[in-house]
Amino acid sequence: MKRVVLILAFAFLALTLMPVLAQESTLTVLCTPQEDWCVAMTQAFEEQTGIDTNYVRLSSGESLARIRAAKDNPEFSVWWGGPADAFIAAKGEGLLDQYESPNAEAITPEYKDPDHYWTGVYVGALGFCSNLDVLEELGVEPPTSWDDLLAPELQGFVAMAHPATSGTAFTTFWTIVTLKADAMEAAEAGSGYDEEGAPTEDAVNAAFEYFAALNNNILQYTRSGSAPGTLAGQGEIGVAIIFSHDCVKLQQEGFEGILTTTFPEEGTGYEIGGMGIIANGPEPEAARLWYDWALTAAAQEIGPTVNSLQLPTNPDAAISELAVNLSEIKVVNYNFVAAGTNRTAIVERFDAEIASAPTE
Amino acid sequence: MQSLRRPQTFKRFASITQDPLLTLALVLVVLFVAITIVFPLLSMIGEGFSPKGLPLFQRYLSDPVHLSIVTNTLVMGALVGLFGTAVGFLFAFVQVRLNVPFKRFMHIVALIPVISPPFAVATAVIVLFGRSGSISRGIFGVRYDIYGLDGLTLVMSLSFFTVAYLNLSGMMRALDPALDEAATNLGANKWRIFRTVTLPMLLPGIASSFLLLFVEAVADLGNPLVLGGNYEVLSTRIYITVIGLYDTTGAAVLSLILLVPSLTVFIVQRYWISRTSVVSVTGKPSGTPQMMNHPLVRWPLFGLTIAICLLILLIYGTIIHGAFIRVPGVRYDFTLEHFDFVLNGIGAQAMQDTTLLSILATPLAGLIGMVIAYLVVRKTFAGRSLLDFSTMLGIAVPGTVIGIGYVLSFNHPTTLTLPVLGEVTLLPQLTGGRGLLGGALAIIVVFIIRSVPAALRSGTAALSQIDPAIEEASISLGADNARTFRRITLPLIRPAFLAGLIYAFARSMTTISAVVFLTTPQTKIMTQQILNEVEHGRYGNAFAYCVVLIVIVMVAISIMYVTVGSTTGAERRLEGGL
Repeated sequence: MKRVVLILAFAFLALTLMPVLAQESTLTVLCTPQEDWCVAMTQAFEEQTGIDTNYVRLSSGESLARIRAAKDNPEFSVWWGGPADAFIAAKGEGLLDQYESPNAEAITPEYKDPDHYWTGVYVGALGFCSNLDVLEELGVEPPTSWDDLLAPELQGFVAMAHPATSGTAFTTFWTIVTLKADAMEAAEAGSGYDEEGAPTEDAVNAAFEYFAALNNNILQYTRSGSAPGTLAGQGEIGVAIIFSHDCVKLQQEGFEGILTTTFPEEGTGYEIGGMGIIANGPEPEAARLWYDWALTAAAQEIGPTVNSLQLPTNPDAAISELAVNLSEIKVVNYNFVAAGTNRTAIVERFDAEIASAPTE
Repeated sequence: MQSLRRPQTFKRFASITQDPLLTLALVLVVLFVAITIVFPLLSMIGEGFSPKGLPLFQRYLSDPVHLSIVTNTLVMGALVGLFGTAVGFLFAFVQVRLNVPFKRFMHIVALIPVISPPFAVATAVIVLFGRSGSISRGIFGVRYDIYGLDGLTLVMSLSFFTVAYLNLSGMMRALDPALDEAATNLGANKWRIFRTVTLPMLLPGIASSFLLLFVEAVADLGNPLVLGGNYEVLSTRIYITVIGLYDTTGAAVLSLILLVPSLTVFIVQRYWISRTSVVSVTGKPSGTPQMMNHPLVRWPLFGLTIAICLLILLIYGTIIHGAFIRVPGVRYDFTLEHFDFVLNGIGAQAMQDTTLLSILATPLAGLIGMVIAYLVVRKTFAGRSLLDFSTMLGIAVPGTVIGIGYVLSFNHPTTLTLPVLGEVTLLPQLTGGRGLLGGALAIIVVFIIRSVPAALRSGTAALSQIDPAIEEASISLGADNARTFRRITLPLIRPAFLAGLIYAFARSMTTISAVVFLTTPQTKIMTQQILNEVEHGRYGNAFAYCVVLIVIVMVAISIMYVTVGSTTGAERRLEGGL
């Protein structure tokens, strides 16, 4: 019995001591890229500033949902990484604070928000990450077109993430919207884009039709954007629709000679990895320090050390020779603002119509 | 004051208001159960039936997509119940009724899945039997599609069958062999005895195992998330609704839909099947059970059981092996980098947090369980069975549902508007990063409520076997209720207390569904980290986490044996004179 009392006493002691662990001069980062990059970034920042830096890795959609849910009392101070559509959506909902960082001047205007709500920290293009052995066995060449993914041989051998949780998957969706809008616009002016340059309802519907067809070939919608790449590496699927830099990362980390990256010839989408300060976040000072620091060339060179090969937005940062250069592939004219504005509606519709629908 | 008439003494002992300490204990546990179990469930029900939620019911229950998700859930529950019970029955039968070697080995292997971190088995099965599995592809050369109902049934049956095994082997041992002997004397052969005597006697046990496994299966989140493929079930739907869309109303409605089969089955199991047990009628068995010795029965069953044992060992072997190789299933060079990741890298904080929170939750869960068991078995008060039932809800309700209830109830301070005082804060915000103690308190509480039911059950079972006369004697000799509980009851139920503690710790360390919505930047949970690693396909890290988790649980169990005492400690202490 005495022992039980002792254990209980210890328990209560520990309980009362716990708040000490969560003190001031800290920073809580919401981190969307791959976990090892989050670790490398927070450690480097901690060494530089002495600020005790915590992070949580959540996918882009999860991040947005979580910030939205806790907007009266935010848990995070700064949000780093993940496609800009989510930042534009967050800006529209008043979830971000304006901040004009002195270091943002170096970044080209197309990679940052004109109203200073978010700034791009990296850029990367979507691609197809294929397992050569699996495709050979299925008798299919690595895809070079979005329509190649619809081949009946690939039934159950394609994977992508769920747009509700993953920015990668949403970028994929919006890329198809853009391509459909381009095609419609080419056929009849005004049918693909409205006066403001946003894709029309019909273009969005056409994209839904494409994904309904693709659904038959999808094995699983993963939570995280880069996860399908590993499924391909393990040989569970043939083709993963992921960011090309994530495929290169996998090739660097054990899947060399197994995976290959290809790009759709009609054009692929790309992401601007955004960064923003959470409105009413708990540590605004530290968040601004992080914001300034993350835009420096030194901070943007951390990625390649952990095989995260996105292109830096700071022109002074060195580019790894393994990185996929956007100028060498065909990219679509991605309308980030329209994507961000329509994000929530599309995600809900995708979840209701496509992802939960049974495949034939 | 000193009444020697026994009935009156007993009455006084049993009545609760006589003892202020006892009344206090009762008030405390009732408050605890009301705040931590009943209130979140009620707020979830309230959200589901709110004007926002009601139309969703109609949408979900009329739309074929959502209906198929409901059907999927029920089919999966039924299949897991069926196969899990069958495997449990096989193991129990071989253990109790067959004269075969390696029984001890089979018993130990059957207990292994008790400490299985979520995802571990599912992930290992993908590595072994997936499309590029080292067995399916490596040996048989087929790309087997393990994703979906077949994979889920296999993995869950293997993960949950232990409950059925323990349940049924206990019952088989308790069967009175005299009945078999009587049937033999009347000329029945062994098969006929098995069919007409043994099986009917075991039917309640089989039914209750089936139902328990059904509840476990429909509540499971980890396995469908990893192995579901396109086979979507309610728990994964709830998960994506919260994580991806943060639609707590939609999640509450789905939770209520999931709650209907779970609770129905639980109530049937608890209040109907378990009461129809025929085993206890005859009391203690009057001999050793008859063995089945027919070689055509014995060896095929033996072979099958050994095969399943080897499969389980293969799966756990894959987990351990996978933790030490570069990319499980692809690159086989030896590495310690996964352990470096878990022990020194990102995983270290999650490991420390989870262990600390589990250590805090365990004794509280054990104690609360014993106190409630004591009150429910020994004392009479209004709402006794309601207290018992509400406590049991902690485990009967699927973890995802509990999680939603917590998010709905505690993501903001609980306030009450009073006429004179204005707004009074009853409870601060508990969940989320800005919650009390960085959300850690909510996680501890969830650990506790998920574990208390098991402690309560084992406590109730132990108490029912102890003659109240021993406690009455203590009271008659002048000890008060608290002293009696402390000096007499608690030592006597110590084995049950220990079992409750072990269960609580293992459960807390391995739970995912209930805490998946409650982890915060300050408080990371190992199972959540394992999910992250599995989701990214970094199986090596996931396996290393699982190995570390299993080691922590085993070490903790050993420590508890030493500090709380072995299962025979209580008896020895009683014999040695208190």
